[in-house]
Order: sequence, then C-alpha cells, then structure tokens
Amino acid sequence: MPALINQYAKAMCILLSCGLMACSAVPELEQDAVTPKVELPSDNELGLMSAYADPWEGFNRRMYYFNAKADQYVLLPVVSGYKKVTPDFVETGINNFFNNLGEIPTFINSLLQLKISVAGETLGRFALNSTIGLAGVFDVATPIGLVEQNEDFGQTLGYWGVNSGPYLVLPLLGPSSLRDATGLVFDSLAYQQAIDELGMKADEELFLSLLQSIDARASLPFRYYSSGSAFEYENLRLLYMKYREIQIAR
Amino acid sequence: MRFVACLLIVLITACSSKPQTEEVAVKAVCDLEYSRYQATVTGYCQEPRADLLASVPVINKSITIKPLEKIPEVFWFNKKMNFSLLKQDSVAPVIFVIAGTGAGYDSAKMINLQKNFYQQGYHVISLSSPTFANFIVNSNNTKYMPGNLAHDAKELYDVMELVWQQVQDEDEVEASSFAITGYSLGGAHSAFVSLLDEERKVFNFEKVLLINPPVSLYHSVSILDQYFDLRSNRHAAIAMFDEIFKRFSDGYSAQESSNFDQDSIFSLFKNANLTEAELKLLIGASFRMSSSDMIFALDTSFNSGAVTYKNHDIDKFESLTHSMQRVSDITFVNYFEGAMLPRAQLENANITKDELIHRYSLHAIEDYLKNSDKIHLVTNNDDIILAPGEVEYLQSVFTERAKIFPRGGHCGNMDRVSFVEHLNATFSQGVK
Repeated sequence: MPALINQYAKAMCILLSCGLMACSAVPELEQDAVTPKVELPSDNELGLMSAYADPWEGFNRRMYYFNAKADQYVLLPVVSGYKKVTPDFVETGINNFFNNLGEIPTFINSLLQLKISVAGETLGRFALNSTIGLAGVFDVATPIGLVEQNEDFGQTLGYWGVNSGPYLVLPLLGPSSLRDATGLVFDSLAYQQAIDELGMKADEELFLSLLQSIDARASLPFRYYSSGSAFEYENLRLLYMKYREIQIAR
Repeated sequence: MRFVACLLIVLITACSSKPQTEEVAVKAVCDLEYSRYQATVTGYCQEPRADLLASVPVINKSITIKPLEKIPEVFWFNKKMNFSLLKQDSVAPVIFVIAGTGAGYDSAKMINLQKNFYQQGYHVISLSSPTFANFIVNSNNTKYMPGNLAHDAKELYDVMELVWQQVQDEDEVEASSFAITGYSLGGAHSAFVSLLDEERKVFNFEKVLLINPPVSLYHSVSILDQYFDLRSNRHAAIAMFDEIFKRFSDGYSAQESSNFDQDSIFSLFKNANLTEAELKLLIGASFRMSSSDMIFALDTSFNSGAVTYKNHDIDKFESLTHSMQRVSDITFVNYFEGAMLPRAQLENANITKDELIHRYSLHAIEDYLKNSDKIHLVTNNDDIILAPGEVEYLQSVFTERAKIFPRGGHCGNMDRVSFVEHLNATFSQGVK
C-alpha cells in the first residue's frame, strides 16, 4: 500500500479537484415528466434519513459506480485467483502480518487521543506478535487477552472535535469523508515510515503493497449490490457516517 | 469496510436479506432474555445452533427472462435474474427454495436452508422472492402486483421451468424427484405453486414444506406496519431510533475489543437492553426497508409515478434519495389499498377489499391444503406475523402434518438444533 498510496494520493487530489463540483446528481427531467404523487417529508421529519448532507453526491455516485465495476472486473477476479493458489493457513498468516503492521498507526493514534490503555495494549500486541508471532504471521496476543484495537487519524481528528465534513466516496477504497480521507493520508505516511525501516528495494515494496491490497479486499465480505437494493448507496452512506460517529465516541 | 457488514448485522433484522459474516467460533447459546421479538431480531440464540457445513459449493447463476433494454437503467446491476444451485454428484432429488418478503436467493436464512437440504442429499435451487427487486425488474409482468399469491405462483412456475432447463443444460443436473419449500411469504408461495403444479404437472412435487408462512398476507403486513408507524407517530419513532443508536454506541465504547463478532453482538444486544417497543421498531424498520425496495422497483418498472417521476428514465448516476425519503412513509397496507386493490378492480370491478384479503391468504386454498398429504407445515407458536387464532387455524388445516414449536418468533429458529432435526425427519423419506 505505501508506495501505491502515495501515487494514489496524488492521483486522487487531481481527480477530486476537477470532479467534485462538476458532476450533478439532480434528475434531468423530460418535458412530460410528472412529479411523484407521494410528497417529500420535510427534513426534520426524516430524522436519521436526512442526517447527513451529501453535497458531492454527483461525484460520489459516479465513483461508487466505478468502484462497483472495478470490483467486478478487476479486484474480485484477482482475489479469487489469490484464494485459489494460496492455502488457507498462508492467507491467515498474510492477513495477520498486515494486521500487525496496522498496529503502528493504531498505536500512534491512541496516543494522540490520550488513550493510554489502548496504546499500551496495542504496543503489547505488536511486541508479542512481532517476536513470538514471527514478524506478525501468528497472532499470539489475542488468545491471551490482548485484543485488537482500531484507531486511525480520522478518529483522532474526530476526537479533537473536527467534523466529518461531506461524505466522500474514494476511488477503490469506497465510503469515507473529507476528514477521514485526510486522516488516511496521515496514516499511510506513518505506515510508510515503518516500511522504510525494513529497508526494502522498490520492487519488493511494490510487491508488498500489491499483496496488502489483495489481502485487504480478500478479508472484506462486502459485495457491491449484493443487498439488491436500489438504495444501497443511501444505506451505505448512513451506515458509514453513523459507524464513524460510534467509533469516535469510543 | 468489514464494519459495514457487521453493523448491518446489528441493524438489519427479521426475515430480510442479511449479509453473512465470516463464521467465527460461536458460544453455544446467548444469555439474552427471551421474547418472541428478541428471537425474531437476534435469532433464537437460547437454543444451540445446529451443526451445518461451514461452506458449501454454491454455483451462483443467472438467467435472462426479459430483454435487457426493457429493464430500467437505474437497475443496471440487475440485468439478469439471479439464483443459485447446489449440485450433488449424481442423480438426486431436487428442491426449490423460495425466499421470504423482500429477500434474495442468497439471504442468510436461505443459506441455512440450502446447507440443510444439500447435506440431506438434495440438489438445491434457490430463488428470490417475487417481492425482491431483482425478481421484479426481470419479470415480464406489467399487470399484477407482487403479493397476489396465485399470480406470483404462475410467475414462479415459469421461472422454475426456465431455470430447471438451464441447470440441466449447463450443469447436467439429474433429478430423481422434486420438492419445494420456502420461508415466510415464500412458504405461502410454495403452497400456491404446488397447487398450480397439480394442473401443469411439470414437476409433480413429492413434498412441499411451508416454513413460518403468513396465513393472511394482509393480516401479517398490518402487524408489521404497526411496529413502524411513521404517519401518526413520527417524532416518537425517530427519537426511539436515536436512543437505540446511542445505547449500542455506549455499549460499543465499553467493550474491550473494537472488533465485532457473534459474541460481542449478543453482548451489545444484552447491554442495550432493548424494550419490546424498541425491538418492534427494529423489526418494523427492517420490513419497511424491504417493502421500500419493492415499491421503488415496481414504481420504475410499471411507470406508476408514486415515488419516482412518471415518464422519466432515471439515470444510473441520479440521486434516488428523494424517492427513498418519499417511500419511507408508505406502509404495506397503503400499498395494498393504493396499488393491489385498484389493479384487481381493473380486472373485475366488483371485487371488494375483503374478497381480496381472502384471496391473498391460505384460506383461499384451504381444501387443497387439508387434503394434500404431501404438504407439511412448520412454524412457531409465538410467530409475530400470525394474528390471534391463526396458529390454531394452521393446526386445524394441517393436523398431523403440522409441527408447531413453542418458541422462535418469526423465523428465529431456522438454524437451531430442533428445527433442523425436524427438517431432516420430514425430508429423510424424500432421499432415495
């Protein structure tokens, strides 16, 4: 991810700056189109359903569509190939390895949020799994009660009172917000530092990044439009924003 | 984004489509306080889970029923009808399984049934409910509204014939006999399909099983509508939602790990300590989500202009938020009175609402159900979708072919030990 994500961040900035405002999600109505019979409830009547504004909806919907297609034609075929060629225990090992590297941003962010016990637990996990767990391939910490935590820079910003900002669908990565996308850049820089310590060659790093991306997708059961709902975009937006609130409150 | 799937598990309940989480080692039972509503929301987790295979070799398939250009662009992701097949190695009996209201062929409850019948030696063909968007937009029907059980049965029968042809051609499935089952609305559909089969005789079903069916569609949906009453009590319902979220959020803050797994979901539920009214709200909201999807799909397919612009082709990037907000208000009873009744009256101007309610119920085919030995029923004494007296009615119709468990709510025990044992006992004679 690190090498890729730097490239990715650059590409994204360009894409975002030209894309966000330009596209519209407002219906282009035909001349004989008739307004729906059922009236639109007002915002304060809708509660949760209108709780999150989506000023970039035009861009977001296009990106959501792009992601669904990329998933179908690129990511999922790669993932299924990966699952075919690797035995299950290898997959688990690889997944553990990357989760272990992920402890680094979690550790930093729990410190930034003054959550000393979470930081301590994460450090303990990292130390144990990196040594006895053979560079993180085995997760020996969870069975003895050091449980996995999840903190990222988006949550840190939220903890210190930064609002989520508009909902934002990122290319390939999916649901996010302006704040969380910003946080992602920070976390990947921290991660990059850790990778640099390993002193790998450029192509080894690229391989690692690719493997991480595949592993990340493989461990995610989500499938676009498997809910079958035309409102999947709306439902996911609500769930994402709500879930982040719950995470930050933690 | 694993969290999205996990959060969905917490939020989306009842017989609607539920995404599968990865299987984790599960504590045998939960220690939630039992109620029919709790069992409907979290499953009847007080009883141990049955021993089903962790994974089965599902073949996801699709079939073209309707020309692509006739399917609205907004359903670009649904341009074929989806179903699935589990195939035995040799000649074996085939079972068709039909999903419940608003559920797809691969909903969590469908997957439990699939595993069960596959383990018993059946080729399993799973179909979505005729109320599921993918089914609606792929159907050639432009006249009848889903929920019209006799017509749904015709459509299902047509689809089943096409699907059966396809799996013979593409997957070389060989059948020794046929059976059909379904849960919830799919249970009622199975009965009507079986009746039609007596006439069309393509499958000659040997066995039919209704799982937690409604007796009267109208009665059942009226019950569920009341759980989520936005018209007369909007502010209270919204406040209750906020309160439920807050309690789950507090519980999540207090738990040690940031991960969700089966155990932590149960403990979140335990700590949230939901009241009966709150559980009902979750059930009602989940049902409303399903019916919203259904109504939207119908509205675009029939160009009826209730929650979408009439005479307008929705672009695939266009915002649907306004439609979702409009449809959130519509109860199933509104749908019955505003769409099903007028449609039926186009055919026959004299038909009354009461006659229609009767027609869309098991009462309409009571004689057939009473006299056909191959039809079996399994349900729960405290199923929430049954109105007072309806359990007794089912017992009197099916007599010794009925199995009524004391507990389980609506479809809450479909993956539990005693239910699965009963299924095995009922179907064991079917496998030769």
